[in-house]
This record gives sequence, C-alpha cells and structure tokens, in this order.
Amino acid sequence: MWIYEKKLQYPIRVDTTNPRLAAMIIEQFGGADGELSAGLRYLSQRWSMDNKRVVATLNDIGTEELAHWEMIGTLVYKLTKDATVEEIKGTPFEAHYVNHGMGLYPHNAAGVPWTATFFNVKGDPVADLHEDMAAEEKARATYEWLINISDDPGVTDTLRFLREREIVHFQRFGEALRIVQEDMNCNKYY
Amino acid sequence: MKNMDEISRNMELARAYVPFQIMNQVFNQKEALRRGTLFPELYKPYTPNCRDENGRRNYYE
Amino acid sequence: MEGEIIMSREQLNLLLEIMEVSFVLDETALYLNIHPNDERALRLHNDAASQYAQLMDMYQARYGLLRNEGISRFPWSYIDDPWPWDVNFNNF
Repeated sequence: MWIYEKKLQYPIRVDTTNPRLAAMIIEQFGGADGELSAGLRYLSQRWSMDNKRVVATLNDIGTEELAHWEMIGTLVYKLTKDATVEEIKGTPFEAHYVNHGMGLYPHNAAGVPWTATFFNVKGDPVADLHEDMAAEEKARATYEWLINISDDPGVTDTLRFLREREIVHFQRFGEALRIVQEDMNCNKYY
Repeated sequence: MKNMDEISRNMELARAYVPFQIMNQVFNQKEALRRGTLFPELYKPYTPNCRDENGRRNYYE
Repeated sequence: MEGEIIMSREQLNLLLEIMEVSFVLDETALYLNIHPNDERALRLHNDAASQYAQLMDMYQARYGLLRNEGISRFPWSYIDDPWPWDVNFNNF
C-alpha cells in the first residue's frame, strides 16, 4: 500500500510566472514518456515478475515516479498560479485554460489526454525490463528538450534533477535485467 | 560477496548487458540531493554544448 | 505574491535536512534492492534511517504532521498549510 509524506522529493524553485513554459512542462505530467506513464508502467509490471529483487526495484522506482509526477504538477502550478488571463492569452496554455481553468489535468504538451495505451505490460520479464529501460531513456531525452527550451533557471534546476534520476533508474533496470538473465541461465541446467 | 560479474565472461548473443554498479564513494547528503544521485559514478550532467544549433548531439566529437 | 505561506527559517532548514536524508534513503534502497548483500551500503542505509526517524519526530512535534499516521496536537495538524506545492524554496 502507499503512504504519503507531505514533502516534495526535491526543493522546487520557480522564478517566473510563465504559462507558455507550463504548457510544455505538462508533457511530463500527462505525456507518453512522462512520470505518470512511468509510475503506472512499473507498478503494473510488478505482478508478473518472479525475482524478488526485480519486484522490489519495480515497486520502489514506480513509487518514486509518482513523487516525480507530483513535482511536475508543482512546476506547472507554480508557473501559472499568479498568471492573469491576459498573460495566459496567446500562449499554448490558453487551450488548457478553456477546458480546465487553472486546474491540473494529465495531458501532453499537444493536448492529448493521458491514456494507458502510453505504456505496455507484456507479462514477460525480459520484454518488460527493455520497455522500462527505453522509457527511462525517452524520459531523459524529453528532459533534455525541456531544458533546451526553459528560460526559468529554477525550473531548469528541477529538470536537471529529474533527468539525472532517469539515468539512475536506467542503471537499476539494466541490473534487474541482468538478474532475470542470470535466473534464465540457472534454469537451463535443471 | 558473490562476484555478480562472473556472467560477463559468458555473454550470449541477442541479449543486452548493463554492468553492475559496485558502490564506492558517495556524495554528502546536500550534494547528493542537488545532483540527483548519491553516486559519483552515476552522475552524468547534461551539457547542451554537446549539441549543435539544431539540437542534434555531436556523437563523434 | 498573494496567499504565499512563509515558513520560518528554522522550519525550512529542518524540512530541507529531512529531504536530504530521505533522498539518501531513496538511493540506498534502490541500490540494496539489487545488491542486498552489500554490507557497506546496508550500514549507510541504516545510519540514514535512524537519522531520518529522529528528524521526522522532531519536525512533526514542532511543526505538525507530515504523515497522517503520526501523533498530532490539537487540532489535527495534518491538514495545515503549506502543502508541498506551496512551500517557497526560493531562498534556499
């Protein structure tokens, strides 16, 4: 089960009111390679893994991704909470505003709503771990594109943190795959 | 501790292999949070300078 | 900025320390999930874990609950501002 702690994983600073940037950051809130997809992908895959080290890895990284989803939501919130309607008009955030007001809703930067079709659970540990490694690289690349377009230093600082987490997660999923492969080798000899 | 990399001598075709990390030094808690990892060997910061004006990575530099 | 919750310097510093130790634990747990027999890593984790428990007790007693399973003064402190997305870290 899940326990909630009333704190962010990272101390987020947002230096500007910037609805345009918020409309791009939301890609990681509701997009295919975003944190919600990552969290639900890993947490859903837990049930079809055999090795306890692999289950623990999916469990804990999946949980961390939900904390990242909260961070992305916080970035969008801080970037827009003081925005006037005049500041929103003419930015991509205007399209979000006319549907959701100042609320947060999981869709990507193009406005496509989040869907479970953004991820897969194959029920095959090798396939699923490769999906996870690919997901981490796609998220890492997305953070690089976001860092390239960010003009808010506080936001950039948070994006750099989140990007580094993807690199660490890739390492853990790579190690989990080694463990699964090792189990497959052992089974050959029985 | 079992050497988990014995398997590297027995690599098979049609498989991907990521080396196991072995914990060595760690950042202090303040540095770790700032950088996004406890482990120096996993710290790989983004340097936009390694991309050209079109955002393409210069792989061969 | 309207409605901004200002935390005292002491509360913010304690919260930051909790966040730092919590992050160390995030990293050691992910490492140990793969390397359960790494004794040094386990010692690092356990040291951070007891530090974390102490810091949490201190924070929750002084400033209110961070987890809804904790012991609260009257009235119920878990609902109090700031919620995490309203904490101002801009001078950190």
